Amino acid sequence: MKTLLKYFYLPFVLLVGVLFFSSFLVDKSDKGQASFPYKKAGLTDRQAALHLLNRFTYGAKTEDIDFVLKTGLEKWFQQQLTGKLADDSLKQMLSVYDVINLSNQEVSNIYPKGAQVLRRAIKDGYIDKDSVNKADQKEYRNKLKAYMDDKGLKPQQELFRQFINQKILRATYTNNQLQEVLTDFWFNHFNVSITKNDCAMFIPAYERDVIRPNVFGKFENLVLATAKSPAMLYYLDNFSSAGTNTNLEVQPKRNPAMLNQTVNDNMKAAALQKLQQNRKNQGLNENYAREVMELHTLGVDGGYTQQDVTQAAKVLTGWTVFPMDEEGAGGAIKKMIEKVGESKLEERGFIHQGDFLFAANRHDTGEKNVLGKRFTANGGYEEGVQLLTMLAKNPSTAKFITKKLAVRFVSDNPPQSLLDKMSKTFLDKGGDIKMVLTTMVNSPEFWSKEALREKTKSPFELAISAVRTLDADITQPFQLYNWITKMGQKMYYYQAPTGFPDKGQYWINTGALLNRMNFGLALAAQKIPGVRINLAKLNNNHEPESPEAALTTYSKIIMPERDLSETIKRLTPMLSDPDLINKVDKAASNAVVPNASSTMMNADENRLMSDENMMVKPKDPKGKLAVNKAKQSSFGNNTMLAQVVGVIIGSPEFQRR
Amino acid sequence: MTSRRGFLKAGGIALFGVGLGGVPSFVAQAAQMIQAPALFKKRKTLVCIFQRGAMDGLMAVNPFTDQYLKAARPTLFMSAAKNATNKPLIDLDGRFGLHPSMAAFESVFKDGSLAIVHGIGSPNSTRSHFDAQDYMESGTPFNKGTASGWLNRAVGLLGHEAATPFQAVSMTSSLPRSFYGDQPSVAISNLQDFAIQLKGNPNGANMASKSFEDLYDQTSSGLLKETGKESFDAVKMLDKIDTKNYKAANNAIYPNTALGNALKQIAQLIKMDVGLEVAFAESGGWDTHFNQGTTNGIFARNVNDLSECIMAFWTDMGTLQDDVTVMTMTEFGRTVKQNGTGGTDHGRASCNFILGNDVNGGKVHGLVKPLAIENLEDGRDLAVTTDFRSVFSEVADKHLKINNDKLLFPDWTGKHIGMMKG
Repeated sequence: MKTLLKYFYLPFVLLVGVLFFSSFLVDKSDKGQASFPYKKAGLTDRQAALHLLNRFTYGAKTEDIDFVLKTGLEKWFQQQLTGKLADDSLKQMLSVYDVINLSNQEVSNIYPKGAQVLRRAIKDGYIDKDSVNKADQKEYRNKLKAYMDDKGLKPQQELFRQFINQKILRATYTNNQLQEVLTDFWFNHFNVSITKNDCAMFIPAYERDVIRPNVFGKFENLVLATAKSPAMLYYLDNFSSAGTNTNLEVQPKRNPAMLNQTVNDNMKAAALQKLQQNRKNQGLNENYAREVMELHTLGVDGGYTQQDVTQAAKVLTGWTVFPMDEEGAGGAIKKMIEKVGESKLEERGFIHQGDFLFAANRHDTGEKNVLGKRFTANGGYEEGVQLLTMLAKNPSTAKFITKKLAVRFVSDNPPQSLLDKMSKTFLDKGGDIKMVLTTMVNSPEFWSKEALREKTKSPFELAISAVRTLDADITQPFQLYNWITKMGQKMYYYQAPTGFPDKGQYWINTGALLNRMNFGLALAAQKIPGVRINLAKLNNNHEPESPEAALTTYSKIIMPERDLSETIKRLTPMLSDPDLINKVDKAASNAVVPNASSTMMNADENRLMSDENMMVKPKDPKGKLAVNKAKQSSFGNNTMLAQVVGVIIGSPEFQRR
Repeated sequence: MTSRRGFLKAGGIALFGVGLGGVPSFVAQAAQMIQAPALFKKRKTLVCIFQRGAMDGLMAVNPFTDQYLKAARPTLFMSAAKNATNKPLIDLDGRFGLHPSMAAFESVFKDGSLAIVHGIGSPNSTRSHFDAQDYMESGTPFNKGTASGWLNRAVGLLGHEAATPFQAVSMTSSLPRSFYGDQPSVAISNLQDFAIQLKGNPNGANMASKSFEDLYDQTSSGLLKETGKESFDAVKMLDKIDTKNYKAANNAIYPNTALGNALKQIAQLIKMDVGLEVAFAESGGWDTHFNQGTTNGIFARNVNDLSECIMAFWTDMGTLQDDVTVMTMTEFGRTVKQNGTGGTDHGRASCNFILGNDVNGGKVHGLVKPLAIENLEDGRDLAVTTDFRSVFSEVADKHLKINNDKLLFPDWTGKHIGMMKG
C-alpha cells in the first residue's frame, strides 16, 4: 500500500515541482562540491532533501523538496550559508512596521520604561505626585497618556509587539531560512530577556544588529558583539561593574597639566571627581564574567575556577553602555563626557563605539590572571578584547559550542564521532561557524537514520512549520505568538541566561502537548484570527471525494516523504463512523466557519481580522451562504476537512522534524 | 527517561474510583495496586505565593514601638494605639503590629499556625526586582546561570515519582523561574483550559480528542506516547472539575481576584487528591513608590487581598489543613525612610508568612534591630538577618521531608531558625 501510494504520488509532485520552478534559473556549474553522504545511510534523494529542510528551515512543503532537488542539495546548502538570497516580498511585508529599524538611542528616546515616564510626567507637572495611586485611575491614565502624546512617547509594549510580529513573519516567509534558524539558535545561546526591564528595550536591536549579522561568521565575533551590546550589558549587569582604578585617583594631582590647562579646570576636576564617586557606589559585578565562561564559551565543565571568574570580571570592568538619556547614573556620565570632551577622554583610554562605552575610569587597573594568561597592569580596553577572544578560541569552547550545534541540528544525543569532527573544524578554522556546519552536514552521522525526525519541534518551530506547510496568509502574527506562548515558549521572555533548553523533554509536557493539539485544530478551523489558510488550494482545488481520500491526500501534503500508513489506519475509524457527517454538520451549525475555499477574504481582511467576533460569526451573508452550500455536498464540507487537517497538525508525527 | 512517572504509585482513587466509563488508566492501575497499602500514601502540599514587586515588610508587620521608624516615616507611620481616627495595628507581641487590613491573619497567629519571619532576605544586596526575584527563585543568590528553580529541585528531591501530571502546578500563564528545570511541571492559569477544545465547536473537539488519543497511543516516539497518555488521563481527571460552580467548604469565600482564583483552583486540586505537592501562585502590585497609604490605599488593599485569599484557602482546606503549608515570599523589602512621593523605595529585608499546622507559629521569628542608622544596611534599609534559604529549606525539610540542602540550595550552609515545629 505504501509503495503503491508513493508511485502514484511521485510523478504528480514532480510535475508540479517542475512547472512551479521552471522559472528559476539554476546554475549547475558549481563543481568540486562533494556530495552529502546520505546514500550510504540509505536515504533517497528526496528523503535527504527533506531531512536537509527539516534541519535548516522552519518547515517544508513538497515544492520545497522539489526545489532543493533541482538546485542540488549541496548547492542549496551553500546558498543558505550566504544568508543573502533576495527577500523582496518579506521586505514588503515588514515595511508596515515602522519601529523595527530604530536605533537603540531612538528607542530610548521614544519608549522609556513605565517608571521613567511617570517620573518625567511628575517632573514636568503633568501629574501631581500626590495623585498617584490615589486619584481616579481613569483620569490618571488619561493624564499620563496626554503627557506621552505631548512628548512623543510610546508604550514599550508597542515596540515589542512590532518586534515579535516581524519575527514571526521573517521566520515564516524569508528565503534565508538557515539564517533565521541560526538567529534563533544564537539568540537563545546568548539569551537576554524582556522580563528584565533594564535590557528589554534594547532587545530588538540586539537581535537585528548583534545576532543576525553574525550568525555565519566567526564565533569570537558573536562573543565580542554580545559583550558590547546594551542588552547584554544590562541583562548580566556588567554595565555597572567597576574596579579599583589607581590611575584615576592619583592622576589629577600627579598630572595637573592634563586637567588644568583651560579655564574650565575646576569644572572638569569636579566632573571627574563626581564620576569617581559614582563609581565608588558600585563595585565589581561578576555576573557577566561568570556566564560568559559558563554559558557562552567554555561550558560549566570547561575548566575554570571561581578565581578565574573574579579575575575575568576585573578585566571587564568599565565595559558599559554609552549613556542615552539624562537620568540616573548615565546622566552624570553623559554630562561629564560633554564637559570634558570625547577626544580628551580618548586620550585617557575611553573607547566609544556605537552604544558601547569603555569607561576607563571604572576599569580595574591592576594586573590580572585568567586561565593562566597574564594581563599586565593598565591594559585598558584591549584586555577585555583579548580575554573574550581567548575564551572564544579555547578547546573547551570548541567542544561546548559544537555539541550545542549538533544537538540543535542533528539530535538530542549526537554521536561522539560527529562531535569530534565538528570540534576539530572549530579549532582548525578559528571558530568559523560556516565551516563547522559544513563539516556537520558532510558527516554520515548527520544523515543516519537515527537522526531522522529525531528532534521535537519547539512550539515556535511547530507553529511556523504549520503555517509554512499550509501556506498560510498571516495578517496578525501576534496571534501565533500567543499560541506559541500557550504551548510553553514565551519567546524573548525566558528569564534565565541559559536560554530555553533544547531537548524534547522540556517541550513535551501534558499542558503544552494538549495546547499543541488545540493549536492544530484552531489553525485548520480558521479560528486563529489573522491567520488564513486555503485548504482546497493546497490540493490544487481538487476536492477529495471522501473523508478517507482527504485524510490520505492531506497527510501527504502536510507530511511528505513519510510512512503514514499507521497514522492513516488509526484515523480511518473516526472517518468511517456512519454518524460522522451528522455529527460534523451539527458541529458546523453551531459554529459557522468561514469557507476556506471561498474568496470572501479581501481588502477588508485587516479590518475583519481585528475583530475576533467577526471571525466566529461573520455577518457577511455571503460567507454564511458559502458555508451552508458547502455543507450540502457530501464532503465539500470544510469543517470536516479542517478537522482532518487539524488532527494531522496536532498529531505526534507532526511534532517531530 | 524510560519511565517518567509512576502514576500508579499514589493518589487519585478517592474521587475517581466511582467514575464509570472514563476512569483514567493510572487510576485503574492504582486501584489494582490498592492491596499494597504502602504504595498509596497521602502526600503533603506546599503552596508558595510570590509577592512580586517587593512588599514593605515594615508596614505589613510593623515594629511600632520603634521611634526611628516613626521619625523616618512622617506620614506612613502607623500606630497600635486605639484612637478614633484610624484603625490601629493589631498588636502581636507588644513590639510588632500587623497591618489592620490583615486582620484575617489574627486568628491563625493567635492559634499558633501562622509564623512570621522578619528581617528575611537575600545575601545578595541587589535592589533590582529582576535580579532579586531571579536569585530567590533559582535559590542561588550569586549565580545567574543556575538552570533550575528551587521548587523544581524540591520536586526532584521528594524521593518518589509523581502520581499524576499535577505534582507541581503553577497557576500562572507561563512557567515561573522557580519551576524551571528537569522535573515535569505544569503552568496553567485556568484548569478549564486543560482539555482538547475548539472555540465554538465542542463536538469537533470531542471527536478530535478521540483521534488524538489514538494517534498518540501508537506513535513510535516514547516521549510523545507517554506524555500523550498522561495528558489524556489528566483531561479526564479534570473533566470533573467545575471551577465556575465550585463550592468551597466551611463557607469560605475567596475574593474574586487573581490570587483568590489561583488559590481556589489549588484547593480544588488538593481536594481531588491528584497528587499535588508543590503549588505556586503570584500576587502583584507591591512596588509602592508612590502614595502607598496607611490604613487605606494601595498597600492596605494589597495586604487585605493577600490575607483574605490565604485565609479563604485555609478555611476551605478544613480537615486537610494538616497536609498543607502556605508560604509567601517577596524579593526584598523597602526603605525605612519614606520617599518624596508618599511611598518607599527598594530596600533589603522584608518579612514573610508561613501558615500550617506544623509551623511554629504565633511568633515573629528573626531579628529586627532598632532602626537606628547604624543598624541599617547601607545606612538606609532594614538589614537582612535571616537568609531566605534558611526559611525555605526549613519548610521544605519539615513539611515535604526534603533533607538535602546541598542539592536544594547549593552554596548555602546556614542553619534553620526553628520556625517549623520539631
